[in-house]
Amino acid sequence: MNLTEKQISLFRTLSIITGIFTMVIAFTMIMSLIQLKSSDPLSSPALAAVYEQFDRDPDNAANAEYVRSLDLVARKAYFTARWQLETGSYLLVIGAALFVLFRWLTYSNEPLIKSKLSPKPVLTETRERNRRYLVISAAAVVLLAVISSFILRPLMPDPGRTRSEKVSATGSAGEIPMPDEINFPFFRGAGGRGIAAGEGYPVEWNGNSGENIRWKIPVPKHGKSSPVIWGDKIFLTGADGSALEVYCIDKNTGNILWTGSGSDFPGASKETPESDQEAGMAVSTAAATEGAVCAIFGNGNLVAYDHTGKLLWGTNLGVPEHMYGYSSSLLIWKDLVIIQYDSDTRLAVIGIDLKSGKIRWETPRRGRAVNSSPVLASFEGIPQVIINGSPEVTAFEASTGKEVWTMPGVKNDVAVSPGYNKNYVYICANYEKLIAIKAGKNPAVAWEDNTYTPDVSSPAATDEFLFISDGTGGVACYDAGSNKVLWENYFSEPFYASPMVADGKIYFLDRKGVMHIVKAAGTYELISQPELGEDADCTPAFSEKRIYIRGVNNLYCISND
Amino acid sequence: MFKKYNRIIPYLLTGLMFIWHSVLYAQQQMRYPRPEFETDYTYPTYQYISQRSPVWEYIDVAVLIAALSLTSWLVLKKRSRQGIVWVSLFSLAYFGFFRQGCICAVGSVQNVSLALFNSDYSMPLTALLFFLIPLGFALFSGRVFCAGVCPLGAIQELTGFRQVKVNPKIEAVLGSVPFVYLGLAVLFSATGSQFIICRYDPFVGIFRLGAPYIMVIFGVLLLVTGIFVNRPYCRYLCPYGVLQNIFSRFSYRHLSITPAECINCRRCEPSCPYGAINVSDKDAVDEAVVKPSAGRFLYPAIIAVIAASFALIAYNAAPLLAGVNKDVMLAKEIRLEKEKGIKAVSEAAVAFRESSTSEEELFAEEINVIKRFRAGAPWVGIFLGLSLGLGFYRRMTRLPRTEYEPDRGRCVSCGKCFRYCPVKPN
Amino acid sequence: MKSRMEKDGNNIKSRREFVRKAGRIALAVPLITVPAILSRKTHATGFVWQIDPYKCTSCGLCKTSCVLTPSAVKCTNEYEMCGYCDFCPGFLRQGARVYDTGAENQLCPVGAIKRNFVEEPYFEYVIDEDLCDGCSKCVQACEDFGNGSLHLQIMQHLCVNCNQCRIARVCPSNAISRISENEPYLSKDRNKKILRGKNRQDSAGGEMKTNH
Repeated sequence: MNLTEKQISLFRTLSIITGIFTMVIAFTMIMSLIQLKSSDPLSSPALAAVYEQFDRDPDNAANAEYVRSLDLVARKAYFTARWQLETGSYLLVIGAALFVLFRWLTYSNEPLIKSKLSPKPVLTETRERNRRYLVISAAAVVLLAVISSFILRPLMPDPGRTRSEKVSATGSAGEIPMPDEINFPFFRGAGGRGIAAGEGYPVEWNGNSGENIRWKIPVPKHGKSSPVIWGDKIFLTGADGSALEVYCIDKNTGNILWTGSGSDFPGASKETPESDQEAGMAVSTAAATEGAVCAIFGNGNLVAYDHTGKLLWGTNLGVPEHMYGYSSSLLIWKDLVIIQYDSDTRLAVIGIDLKSGKIRWETPRRGRAVNSSPVLASFEGIPQVIINGSPEVTAFEASTGKEVWTMPGVKNDVAVSPGYNKNYVYICANYEKLIAIKAGKNPAVAWEDNTYTPDVSSPAATDEFLFISDGTGGVACYDAGSNKVLWENYFSEPFYASPMVADGKIYFLDRKGVMHIVKAAGTYELISQPELGEDADCTPAFSEKRIYIRGVNNLYCISND
Repeated sequence: MFKKYNRIIPYLLTGLMFIWHSVLYAQQQMRYPRPEFETDYTYPTYQYISQRSPVWEYIDVAVLIAALSLTSWLVLKKRSRQGIVWVSLFSLAYFGFFRQGCICAVGSVQNVSLALFNSDYSMPLTALLFFLIPLGFALFSGRVFCAGVCPLGAIQELTGFRQVKVNPKIEAVLGSVPFVYLGLAVLFSATGSQFIICRYDPFVGIFRLGAPYIMVIFGVLLLVTGIFVNRPYCRYLCPYGVLQNIFSRFSYRHLSITPAECINCRRCEPSCPYGAINVSDKDAVDEAVVKPSAGRFLYPAIIAVIAASFALIAYNAAPLLAGVNKDVMLAKEIRLEKEKGIKAVSEAAVAFRESSTSEEELFAEEINVIKRFRAGAPWVGIFLGLSLGLGFYRRMTRLPRTEYEPDRGRCVSCGKCFRYCPVKPN
Repeated sequence: MKSRMEKDGNNIKSRREFVRKAGRIALAVPLITVPAILSRKTHATGFVWQIDPYKCTSCGLCKTSCVLTPSAVKCTNEYEMCGYCDFCPGFLRQGARVYDTGAENQLCPVGAIKRNFVEEPYFEYVIDEDLCDGCSKCVQACEDFGNGSLHLQIMQHLCVNCNQCRIARVCPSNAISRISENEPYLSKDRNKKILRGKNRQDSAGGEMKTNH
């Protein structure tokens, strides 16, 4: 493009004008911005002083008038500044664009720059110089590294020091997740032992009047599985015929964050086994851990989702052949999903890699299919999965699946999961007996009793007491070390949900949805009996001062606040 | 009669309000019952407006791809500086002022590293695409993203009128800053601590006119500097430019100064404001061809030593670096309060006191964060050490050139050199 | 002599080509693996930033930390929780003795709350979002002394939906998170539970709204 001298000088002038315009605009805008950000007219000391004066003498109408006028000025200043910023930005863009255009036109005819060329670098010298740099910098960096080790190391807070107490608290259980206040990872909490951490859980609520019900949502599909919690998320399963679903629910709001399918993966079974029609396919409780949740359904579909609702993997373990329907809940130990697989044709305990969904180990079990769920415990330093089978109770090493110990247990239909404390494992079957086993490589029966033999509800044991709620409405507290019944009581409704110990109380939830809260102590002291207003068979979950209960149709969040 | 009490009533009511408050505060429930209106008043309904349609995000990606392709074509085939300037202008208007700089390849580095190293974070797909697509183009046609698409680059490109040549040594020293910046940005975002690239983005304040004014002033100063020392952000700060630099070095095609064969006329030598033209060694002595053979294994070993030393330095500095993390900062504040009695007054500390988190949990989290920094920092150190060592090594073992060609790493494909080459395409 | 130079030149060229090719392949690997690794960790749009009103401690950082000035965070009133009080603590300054719209009695520094008479003794409080700068003074007061119906929300038509919300990074109570864009607002009303969408329906308490 060739421009005449005249045009060029015109463009030059224009570019100067637009340049100055842009600068002025930019300057005003920066000033407005500074004004808005630093000396906000709305929080100016003058205004504050006037308000103060007004507060001292509130009846003086003149003062009020003065406040109003000054406030008006301040607001005007504020909104003018805002307006300046908004309109200024457009002017700035236009001005700058024009400036650039004119500038560019002005220079379009200019000859190419002719400057004196510097001497060319000599290749061999460059090489030599860089070789030197390399060696020098290596020396310098090594020196720096040594110095930094001396100077910076003492500056760091020693992670070991502040950590020590925490380690000893969690370390004693030998890699078994201890109950923690936030996460409620499995059926009956951490380890599946029926103990929840934390305190300040509600003792009063009413599902009918809404008292202390923070939220309540209908669970889209029916299920007998209990809620589990990780972080801010609740996980739940539901099923309707062969439509299987995993729900992730916001703990605080009750919003269903996502719904994952339990049958939408290659190789999924679409079958609906002919088992207990009432219970349905979503009986097993899911298990949650950092970044993942696993759920298993009545037809052997096992799925793992991450916490955002992405399917990590899905696999079918084979459709269980089971008279009452498959019902065992999942456990997660480190990066293994542990499944108590109960089918008339295949009886096993299986460890599956949480990342890939591949079977890591599988150990066959003896006896017949049961309905209990496994628990995760640690005895003699070995993390182990304990299964109340029929007719044996067996512990398997969690990492390898090897049998650690086994002994004859109960022979009837078994649906009750083991309870345990630091010394004993408690197992039981209805119409049979309750057995306390001294756990370890050489297991032994510590005591037996047949007064209270629950059919569904599993025992919860602390180191001092063993709590039982049975299928006739009876509850009892045993001395953990002997078959002595410390107290007992009879509530008219049967119990299916398992009792949970939390904050020094024991929570018994009966089938009509009434929670019987009793002090977890050697003497009977009923604290309260709040009603859910809905039938409930699922074990409640406890987290951060709130209780989550799944009724027949709804999920409740019960909270004091 | 009533007038007499008029003065007291408000006090009484205020007092009542406080009683209400104290009684009901714990419950946090409806303090005042929902009114039962006698008139036919209905609750106003909010017309909440949604985020602009997600279609726009796809449009952003489409515009990105289109702009990159167009720039590639202009750089490689059309060889039109003018065209590149127009594309820059468009990108500045679209990605800068219209989209307000907040879908940005430069910042997406942090989303990627946060997503890579954190299981619970998932990043927007568009951010991932904005990270990958320009790199893909860099591997194909050099830093075309920097040339015409990046709004940060465009605003500087359009304001760089004069060129002051920077001494190559100073250029080299300043040019190493982005590597450190990238390393820190990745470390900070991978540990979920800070997004420093976004926080210290100098031009986004200009795009939106809404950043802290210090950043706006910094941005304007940088622009003013850029009139003389062109593209200062790209050369001496931009962390994404480092990735572009690395990818562009191995690009399949790249801008060439001359459309045909170089005649070694030296005219293009002063044309590049970025010092990104590699001088030809055509007249150099023949011995230069001889490869440096000594130290075949020694020098790689030295590079390894540099990398290891950097890793050690970074590891030692990890707790110091962890100080940028929100939780670590809070933990320090709380600890100071506990040990030295300095009152913790920050908003975070106030919120912490209100929350149910215990101090133990906070301190455990602090240790956790420091641990993560310790795990990550050595890798950053290795990256820095390798970049430095390999940089020297490359120049140390360089082979002679027979043509003037752009330095593929540093050349942003701006096309300023086109005009200077007297050779006509054959 | 010349031929040697040429030959060397060719050697150098081919060596460079080789290095370049190798490097290209080496760099293409992360370019492909990164999206493969992240494929599980990305979400294809459909998410927006929002404040959980129950986590919010109304610290005031929303006003100053947003990349926009004024902030995209605004106050909204959850009418069904509002007490329609004459002495609205969110509207009136603490210590205000006359309950009227006089500037000396108003709490909001920008006068963004409009007080409309409904019927004795109820007043409706409407927030003018154009004026509101998200300072959360009224929210704090309503939470402390009132029903807590006033709460902060990120206005989605203003929010530029940054890769990483700047307020979320500084929020002391971690109240800001990504939520589905189908339900881009979080209601303060616990009975409503479920988020409100673009066309707010007065869903009965406890009813769940499916995503649309």
